[in-house]
Amino acid sequence: MKPGELLRVRVAFGALGAVPIFLAGWLGWLQVAQAGTVKRRSGEPLPLIAKTADRQGWRVETVPAPRGTVVDRNGFTLAADCATYEVRARITVPIKCRRDLTKFRPWVQRIVDGFALALVADPDTPNRAAVHKKQRARLAKVIAKAWSIDKLPETGKWPEKHSQVAEFLVSTGVDRLRVIDALRGYHMSDDYPTIVLDFLHSYRRVYPERELTHGIVGHINSFEIKQPKGGVRLQTYGMSGLESFKVLEPREGTTRRFLADGRRRPYFVAPVHDAIDVVQLHSTLDIELQRAAVRELTAMCEKGLRNNPKKKAKWGALVLIELQTGDVLASASWHRDSKYAEGSSFTPYQNRFEPGSIVKPLVLSYANEVGAINWDQTFDCSPRGGTYRERIRSLGRRVVDDHACGELSAHGILLNSSNIGAAYVGLELSREQWQDYMRAYGFGRSLGLNLPSESIGGNHPKSFDPKTPLRRFRRDSAISFSFGYELTTTALQVARAYTRMFQGLGAELRMVRGVEVDGDWHDVPVKQDTGPHYRPEVVDAVRQAMVDVVSNDPHATGHYLHAAMLKELNVDLHGIIGGKTGTAASSVGVGGGRKISARNASFVGFTPTENPRYLAVCVLQKDDSASFYGGSYAAPPAVKLLLQCQDLAERGQLRQERRSKLGGQTQLSPWRVAPSRAAPVGEGLRTPGSQGWSGPVGAGVPSETR
Amino acid sequence: MRWLIAGLFFALAISLMIATAAIRAQNVAERRAIQKIYDAVQDRDKELLRLGFEGLESASPERLAQLHREWLERELERREESFR
Repeated sequence: MKPGELLRVRVAFGALGAVPIFLAGWLGWLQVAQAGTVKRRSGEPLPLIAKTADRQGWRVETVPAPRGTVVDRNGFTLAADCATYEVRARITVPIKCRRDLTKFRPWVQRIVDGFALALVADPDTPNRAAVHKKQRARLAKVIAKAWSIDKLPETGKWPEKHSQVAEFLVSTGVDRLRVIDALRGYHMSDDYPTIVLDFLHSYRRVYPERELTHGIVGHINSFEIKQPKGGVRLQTYGMSGLESFKVLEPREGTTRRFLADGRRRPYFVAPVHDAIDVVQLHSTLDIELQRAAVRELTAMCEKGLRNNPKKKAKWGALVLIELQTGDVLASASWHRDSKYAEGSSFTPYQNRFEPGSIVKPLVLSYANEVGAINWDQTFDCSPRGGTYRERIRSLGRRVVDDHACGELSAHGILLNSSNIGAAYVGLELSREQWQDYMRAYGFGRSLGLNLPSESIGGNHPKSFDPKTPLRRFRRDSAISFSFGYELTTTALQVARAYTRMFQGLGAELRMVRGVEVDGDWHDVPVKQDTGPHYRPEVVDAVRQAMVDVVSNDPHATGHYLHAAMLKELNVDLHGIIGGKTGTAASSVGVGGGRKISARNASFVGFTPTENPRYLAVCVLQKDDSASFYGGSYAAPPAVKLLLQCQDLAERGQLRQERRSKLGGQTQLSPWRVAPSRAAPVGEGLRTPGSQGWSGPVGAGVPSETR
Repeated sequence: MRWLIAGLFFALAISLMIATAAIRAQNVAERRAIQKIYDAVQDRDKELLRLGFEGLESASPERLAQLHREWLERELERREESFR
């Protein structure tokens, strides 16, 4: 090698060797000599290290947790979460618009039109034209506000201090594929490179049988209310029914990490960190019976009084209970003057009424149990008899029956629904016993179901005032309590009272069978057969009297019902349905200190008569003083419901099994369904979209699966 | 000879650098494609859930009865038309 060549080689290799030395020196300079921190906007220090640089590319998307699913006793979904997107836009004004403001407003208008069209991209969108018009107007308003367009000059260049970036909500609840695709088409597209759309995970609450379950399953939404003078007001009714239960409050969600490239385009790293386990609340409702209850109650109320649709009841309530468990199988509500079911009270536990004669079996059973009466003894129930004068008129009180009754046994008092007879029985009870009666049957006490805005009712505040003389208590309260006056209650409280008579005084109603949280079943215990029990002969005597009430005996208050059902359904109810009719006339406060006279028609019925298993309570209230009888108006819906319940039970469709696995249309996680947790084919209903989902659902499901 | 070896090592170093960069770029491109598929799956999952619940609602006895009634009315009208 020549000396010149050797020199060149040394220079070349020396240069190559200098590169790593330079890099190492640079690294040392940056990482050691220049290492330090800068302050973030929040004031926190940001270390200037390589890890920080790596982190700049990391992104995290939050996946919120759903509220959970509410299912009926057969696994049919009553409320669930439907995964949707909340789409937010972050748009920077492009340079051509910043240079020439005359191009800006047409550019904005194109975005508004484009987004509005994208939001109705699905031709199946209901009221598509109206929705498009509404979205277009809303987006124009939102974008104008986001860029403060009214403060921008018409021409010239973009003002330096005016923000170039607008961030706004494009839409919530986006779950139509064509809409999603159309919106994704705008995300950093070639035509609109400065538009960045974020698709945030969200949920929309869905209720597959909404019309049937407004009150009992409840709602969490807000509703637009049209104002009489025009305009719309957003009314949030808050949570009600089962939706108000704490277990359905959304829990902590999960996250998914991804990376972003230099152009902020996301790229995949991993799926969601942890699958979200959906809480499943198993209610005691049976959707088929709920459907029947709503249908029967609505039919009776809409038919109007004496078949006159212009004369309708003010409100109605119908509930169905399974006596052995206290399970509320169905619970229906009806209002005459309500346009929005969401905003109306749910009558079975929120509307109070004076129960009238339906409490007589409760009074007589209590009096018989405590030995205040002998079931076989007779009472002279004639208003002209000496007993009446001596025991009732002497107190200064008048009690009347709607038909003349003579000598009646306790059985006869119930059969004839004699107020005078019931008053005799009531006068046999002491003030303390009446207090015990209220306590035993739960009048004036919460149902304990944790339902919001529950009406408690109960006796008049002065009924048991120690300052009230005993004679006045006997004259006013004891006699009134005997036939269901001076006392307000709700349909579900009446159902509980009867459940206690049949199943023990510790019995309670149940609206939730259990909750599945993280795959663990948490049972809600049955409280039947707890507390003191009435003697079997006491319950049997009352039961037999109630069976005879629904017969063709001309003195029985249920004879009209018996005849009507024989004619309408060709069913002889005697021996099939037992029950008690009730009618009460009372004054009801309507606010502002005003009171109106109201009449309540009520009925309590049970089946089978030998060993009662199902109990129905129906109440209708009307706001005038015209005649209105429980046997004519309240009894038919309750009886029809009981007959359907019996029919379903005979077909084996009323089953109640504890579910150890998830069922219903509940999705475990919309992002990652654990295969081992998914319900196997053939068991219950499916997750929408899962295998077998296209099979029959609801009423069409064969009896083995319902 | 040693010049040849040095040149080969240099070429190898450059090739490794280019290959590494290419693989990393390919990795990002593949991940970006996966992300698109992932997003598409998410979108379809939402559509599927919506259709599932809509199907459930449209298959309710009330809705089916309404559809049946509408169909019967149309059929009645059609027959009356053909009768005339």
